[in-house]
Amino acid sequence: MSSDTTGVLPREGVAVSGVRAALLQKRTRLGEHAYTVVRWGGAAVFAAVVVALLISVAGSSSQALTRSGVGFLWSGTWNPAAGEYGAGILVVGTLLTTAVAMVIVVPIGLGTAAFLSELAPGWLAGPLSTLIGLLAAVPSIVVGLWGLIVLTPIFANQVEPFLASMPLLGWLFRGEAYGPSVLLASVVLAVMTLPTMVALSRTALAAVPVADREAALALGATRWQAVRKAVIPAARSGIQAAVTLAVGRAMGESIAVAMVIGNRPALPTSLTAPGATLGSAIVNQFAEASPGLGTSSVIALGAVLLLLTVAVNAGGQALLRSGGGHRAGTAGALR
Amino acid sequence: MSGDPIARPEPLSLVAEQRAAANTAASALTHGHPSSATPPAVTLEGVQVSFGDHVAVRNVTLAIPARQVTALIGPSGCGKTTLLRAINRLHDHTGGSVEGSIKLGDIDVYGADTRPELIRRRIGMVFQRPNPFPAMSVFENVVSGLRFNGVRGRALLRDAAESALHHAALWDTVKDRLNQPAVGLSGGQQQRLCIARALAVEPEVLLMDEPCSALDPIATAKIENLITRLAADVTIVLVTHNMFQAARVSDQAAVFLLGEDRVGELVEAGATDELFHEPKNPRTRDYVAGRVG
Amino acid sequence: MTVASALSRRGLVRAAAQRSLTRRRITGRLAQALCAVAAVASVAPLVALLYYTISRGAQVLSWSFLVNAPTPPGIPGGGISTAITGSAEIVGLALVIAIPIALLAALFLFERSGRLAAALRFSADVLAGVPSIIIGIFAYALLVLPLHAFSNLAAAFALAVLMLPIMIRADEEAMRTIALDLWEAGIALGARRGRVARSVVLRGALPDLVTGNLLAIARAVGETAPLLFTLATPVAAMTLLIYTDGTQAFPIAQETAWGTALVLLAFVLLLSVAAKIAAWRISRRAR
Repeated sequence: MSSDTTGVLPREGVAVSGVRAALLQKRTRLGEHAYTVVRWGGAAVFAAVVVALLISVAGSSSQALTRSGVGFLWSGTWNPAAGEYGAGILVVGTLLTTAVAMVIVVPIGLGTAAFLSELAPGWLAGPLSTLIGLLAAVPSIVVGLWGLIVLTPIFANQVEPFLASMPLLGWLFRGEAYGPSVLLASVVLAVMTLPTMVALSRTALAAVPVADREAALALGATRWQAVRKAVIPAARSGIQAAVTLAVGRAMGESIAVAMVIGNRPALPTSLTAPGATLGSAIVNQFAEASPGLGTSSVIALGAVLLLLTVAVNAGGQALLRSGGGHRAGTAGALR
Repeated sequence: MSGDPIARPEPLSLVAEQRAAANTAASALTHGHPSSATPPAVTLEGVQVSFGDHVAVRNVTLAIPARQVTALIGPSGCGKTTLLRAINRLHDHTGGSVEGSIKLGDIDVYGADTRPELIRRRIGMVFQRPNPFPAMSVFENVVSGLRFNGVRGRALLRDAAESALHHAALWDTVKDRLNQPAVGLSGGQQQRLCIARALAVEPEVLLMDEPCSALDPIATAKIENLITRLAADVTIVLVTHNMFQAARVSDQAAVFLLGEDRVGELVEAGATDELFHEPKNPRTRDYVAGRVG
Repeated sequence: MTVASALSRRGLVRAAAQRSLTRRRITGRLAQALCAVAAVASVAPLVALLYYTISRGAQVLSWSFLVNAPTPPGIPGGGISTAITGSAEIVGLALVIAIPIALLAALFLFERSGRLAAALRFSADVLAGVPSIIIGIFAYALLVLPLHAFSNLAAAFALAVLMLPIMIRADEEAMRTIALDLWEAGIALGARRGRVARSVVLRGALPDLVTGNLLAIARAVGETAPLLFTLATPVAAMTLLIYTDGTQAFPIAQETAWGTALVLLAFVLLLSVAAKIAAWRISRRAR
């Protein structure tokens, strides 16, 4: 029996026999319907999961929220012992650690991306970027363990005193420094978000057409001038997307931060003082929370965190998608 | 920077002399007499350009006369663009190699003492597809080359931009939208913007790589007019696969065809009129008659 | 514009270009050096993590460490076997839940385009960004609270929800890259859609599907926060064990934490490297 259909299809033997088998099957309406139902079923289950997530988080936090109202968001005291639950100070902590982490990550990440995309020799860029990408695979608990056991003494004894003695910025680091601190948490966050920043920035830079670089070089620019003035500005929206998504990731990180930040829900007097974030508070407080209001309040913290991260991530995804549409075609505006 | 061969500025009197000679040459050309009074702007001798092991074009010996339009013509794949990019050392960035000698006046373009950045200011380039910098406005695009080369001063930049835009026949169109994004212009306008940008750094030679291939006929005609006018100030080397364009616009032409081993080679070069009407090489005759390529 | 001013501008530009070249080149070299330093700084954390985990974990690592069950504090000879098998059980259960749903949802996205599919895709991307601790809270609220009991099922559910968006996108990607023309050929010839999907798309895209899911598995194995909310004892999973032991002040507990971390890290990195190699080989074949 010759296979008449082989001329139509590509080489794969599996595919050919698969299609033949599919064709030889009797076509039944029932079978077709069953497949469609099953497909819709998969999609529906996923949709149900998303909806259920929102409802259950909202529902379980309702007790806490109805008690404090919207004030929960910015009420500045988190003191379970006194029965006071307010997310404000924790939001501040989240934003602070994220901001300091970004100060570290954005320059290093962008510089690394520029190195990988524009300046490194070909044989180096590939393996190096794979290595940096492997950092993303490291579980956050391992980073947290390393931060807790290895970094804490180093920071307390060497790094923080050194930073406190710096001429211009020293004041940021003065104050108590016995280990767990906002600074340490920010560094741990930086380590965890660096691969994201590098990978996305590198993609953004590589997406800039070669013609832009050549245009700059053809005018007499040096290689660095071409990168700085022609390539990086053209990749601006992709880089913004990278930063936004890194911020989203940093805000949501809880375990590693909980292990190194010292769990003190109060405004830190310096970067070397302990603090707390939404994520770290949830981790640290959950086990001891009194059932009912206590648990509900911890879950309400989760709701706040969810809102924050979803907003930031949605923004980042939108930036990623819109990134390409910069350059107008040759048939642009009216002549 | 001792020993930098590009460091010597031309005395003003020599410049005036050259312009007078060029003007005589130009007027002589319109009567069909090529001039040999001025030294060529660019000289190529035995040039071979390769990508790694693969040779794209070989054995090119050609003199590009100053302040005229020289067209490199021939079917695609014959190495014309590759040769062009070797002249301003853009080929450096593709990991290929260049053999033979390329000279800008007396200066060896690939000499050990020669700085590519300075050569590229003196030999400008306009690309096949218009490529204005998307993150910059019209004005910023035009002066970008000046800024790269360390020219400061708003008044100077403004004057240079206005002059360049005038030369590119774009001033009237954009004078009221200098601060708007450059990508908002039409294709033909963007290409003229790229020409203005290249002119702003005062090059001596302008390399144009099929500048009209991405444009419609009306925009093409405007740019062809422009090219003829620009040649009064700047030597132009134009790559085109359109014979009629070459016939319309160029004073001298060089025909490139594929050799037997699929490597591009220079078949014949000379005054455009002669090349098209009385070609010396049978292969040129075949190409011009449309029998080949 | 006089000839004189044009000529003087020409001279000015030329002079500026020459004069600025040294400065521009030095600035460029400096900037390139800084970027190289940044690249080194990006690799340093991984190196440091590997160094400390290996050096400290190796001190505790032994066959008995892997194979023995934990013993009460103070009694020697304990191991982490329950944690290893626990993690395996929970992740396995999570896979059983997640793989079919992801495949079906991916088939749905593969076939349909339009606003519904776009909304689904977008929500998958957003769900992928939801912090794992929220997913833990979700599982807690859904499965632990009503039943008044922690359970492996709740943990597996949380991990499944975590993996779902990653798997859906990876599956859809695999189908689109490998099987789109095969699918269209099959449909065009009149075959039943379900049959074509099974015989052609899934079989053709199988290697890619496996690769994409490997990374999801690697991520799930390393998660701690969802387990905090759904599991009763720390020895039920590796990550939880690291957290509980690591945060205690006793050196023995910390040693156990490092040993467990080494096992976990080795597993996750091997999985990631395997996924990358498989992906690289597939993309080479496709070329």
